[in-house]
Amino acid sequence: MTPQPPASDAALLRPISAGEESGIFLRLRWLIASSTLREMLRTSRLRLSLVILLSALFWGSLFGLFHEAFIFIDSLHAEVISLLFNAFFSSLMVMLVFSTGILLYSGLYTTPEARLLLTLPVRSETIFAHKFQEAFWFSSWGFILLGSPMLTAYGIVRHAPWPFFALLLPFMVAFVAIPATLGGILCMAMVAWMPRLRLHALGIAFGAALLAIVGLAWMALATPRADAMSAAWFEQVFSRLSITEQRMLPSWWLSSGLIEAAARAKDGSVARNQSEALRYLAVLVSNALMLQLVGRQVAARLHRLGASQLVSEIPTRRKRRMSWFDEFLSRAGTERGRPLRLLIVKDLRIFRRDISQWSQFAIFFGLLGLYFWNVRVFNYQHSYAAMIGFLNLAVVGLILSTFTTRFVFPMISLEGRRFWILGLLPVNRDQIVWSKFLFSFVGGIVPCCVLVLLSDTMLGIEPWLIALHEACCVVLCAGLSGIAVGIGARMPDLREISPSKIASGFGGTLSLVISSLFIIAVVLVTAVPVHLRFAAEERGLVTTGWSAADRGVAVGLTAAIALGLVATFLPLFLGLRAFRRLEP
Amino acid sequence: MIVFEGVARSYGEKIAVAGLDLAIPRGELFALLGPNGAGKTTTIKMLVGLLRPSRGSVRVAGHDLVRDPRAAHLHLGYVPDEPCLYEKLTGREFLWFIADMFGMPKAAAERRIEAEIANFELGEFADDLAESYSLGMRQRLVFASSLLHDPDVLVLDEPMVGLDPRSVRIVKDLLRERTRGGMTVFMSTHTLAMAEELADRVGIMVRGRLRFLGTVSDLRARATDQGTGTAAPGAEPQSLEQLYLDITSADGPGAPP
Repeated sequence: MTPQPPASDAALLRPISAGEESGIFLRLRWLIASSTLREMLRTSRLRLSLVILLSALFWGSLFGLFHEAFIFIDSLHAEVISLLFNAFFSSLMVMLVFSTGILLYSGLYTTPEARLLLTLPVRSETIFAHKFQEAFWFSSWGFILLGSPMLTAYGIVRHAPWPFFALLLPFMVAFVAIPATLGGILCMAMVAWMPRLRLHALGIAFGAALLAIVGLAWMALATPRADAMSAAWFEQVFSRLSITEQRMLPSWWLSSGLIEAAARAKDGSVARNQSEALRYLAVLVSNALMLQLVGRQVAARLHRLGASQLVSEIPTRRKRRMSWFDEFLSRAGTERGRPLRLLIVKDLRIFRRDISQWSQFAIFFGLLGLYFWNVRVFNYQHSYAAMIGFLNLAVVGLILSTFTTRFVFPMISLEGRRFWILGLLPVNRDQIVWSKFLFSFVGGIVPCCVLVLLSDTMLGIEPWLIALHEACCVVLCAGLSGIAVGIGARMPDLREISPSKIASGFGGTLSLVISSLFIIAVVLVTAVPVHLRFAAEERGLVTTGWSAADRGVAVGLTAAIALGLVATFLPLFLGLRAFRRLEP
Repeated sequence: MIVFEGVARSYGEKIAVAGLDLAIPRGELFALLGPNGAGKTTTIKMLVGLLRPSRGSVRVAGHDLVRDPRAAHLHLGYVPDEPCLYEKLTGREFLWFIADMFGMPKAAAERRIEAEIANFELGEFADDLAESYSLGMRQRLVFASSLLHDPDVLVLDEPMVGLDPRSVRIVKDLLRERTRGGMTVFMSTHTLAMAEELADRVGIMVRGRLRFLGTVSDLRARATDQGTGTAAPGAEPQSLEQLYLDITSADGPGAPP
């Protein structure tokens, strides 16, 4: 075949205007979005329906919670709304700076698309705007999902006029744009001026911000146990939160604007408050637009420089030695079980060296630990403490299920590209599946049991109930590991290399749904008999010795163990059977 | 058409490219050879504007890549070693995106897109999403996109990786055709045979420096000289491969003392 010579079109080429560039990127986004949506409707209807359903449930629950909370606050200290809004929005602002900065770092510099765009005749500021829109969307939807039920509930409790509800979205979008653009500017400056130190600088800044937020929460809530929820306690908390009320912060403009928009004058008129609200909105919008201009100027000057700085970075060579634990694990035990242990050591090393895995694990479990540590502030009734203990157990299980779905479920699929290595090794295929199960089960059981113990100790729960919670925790760890590994082996995606894409597919969604149902079932079958036992105790029906209520608790525990056995071994059985027949 | 003027680039202490002076005229196919870590990729990255030189300048069609990247990119086409596509776009949509970015008028863009689809035999899958493409299909699509605007300079980084023999033939024919039409090609490759078959001039880079610069005939003559020259009268002519290995060895000709 002879290639066709080009017609002489080169003379027609011209540098296009910034407006035309934006138009091309908009068309690109539209094409990608519609193609993604079409595919999702074709292949992932279950996932899409679940996302919509769970979002609606989440929104509804938050709305109900905030509605009750605002009624409660209104009856006590109506004037503290401003303090609460300021504390909430200022914390969120800090988080948005970091989240958008990190998203833009990836979008502007490290993705293959970033490299493609840098070799095309397109302005850096247009690339920034294109990637910013993406990061802005990812940052703002979480805020809107969280903020809209809260603010809608506030408006309803305060009998706000209709413009309040109409202004909610513009207020939220204008607010998010400010920290998001700041995050982008900081990201570009950091990459261009201190490329080698960017991770350290980001880590230090993120750590400092997190410490500040945790410190603020700690400072606000720290109080002697007996004073909790009293009027004096509320006053102390609010006076400590007043530190977040700074007139130069966008969080203050947002809080003040929303409060004005919801207010009415004594004669019922709203015009004056509405014009005040619009002034605050104008301040937010003008600052957001001004920052966008600054962001574009910074992009024009620093984006290509920063990209070049990153390309010129040589990956540091890090020599790794075998840790004593790996050495111990690979040598301890029988020779027959050695391949299984070696597979676990391999997964353990990958986990330790993948910062995205253990950092998320550490952050979520760390925050949960912090919350459990703080439950001691409040005084609880006997039965109430037991129920909170069960709720905490469910939360630990739910957090673990997100990890088993996100990190454990894709483990078998991720072996796909390396299957030729495993296939040639003298390793039984069953051992591969069992190694993943043991890795997940043992890895999950330690932090989960410690967290449950911390929660129960802080709640002052009786030893027998602590033992019950710990038993349930073991059941949950085993069941969740079995579900994730079993379904992962039954429905592997050996061609995909991205764990997040594997986890977000049909198998991952199914695993998450079954995991959630399993947690609810285990917690319910044990919590209901315990609740009945406490109710009987309060009525004086529980006598010393082995009462009917005690027998109910034992039946509940037995049912939980039975559920755990089914959840562990049924998916594993199906997974092992499918994995033995698998032809990669 | 391409001018490297005193170009140097270092990564911390490590010097990747040291004082590169090289001018490649219009219509020439230049092949840059060298072992791993010689500085070929760094040179290519500076040529396409992904990396700024620590010293010196790189110009394409008279435009400096650092001072005026957009003007330079209008004259450039680039085929990277790892093709990047938008997974959720079809091949045809991707070609339209590139044509729009280069400001091609609609009618001309349509004509050129159809021509490149035919040239690279993409018709069968041009309307499928890129996520379903094999490596070879991706590479062919990237080739098509890089030639869409008929660039004055085409930069190729290991262009034949992933291509089947038929696609390799298509690319070779096309490069010959386009260079005859005045396009300048800058190609980095590990394959000596490919350089020998296609290149007008060859540069062999070792540790950031050009140890050899000349035509394939010069290289062949040198191989003959070294094989039958005064050093060993009557000896067999040295193969190009052996000469390449000699040049790229640590103490080869041109190596720093």
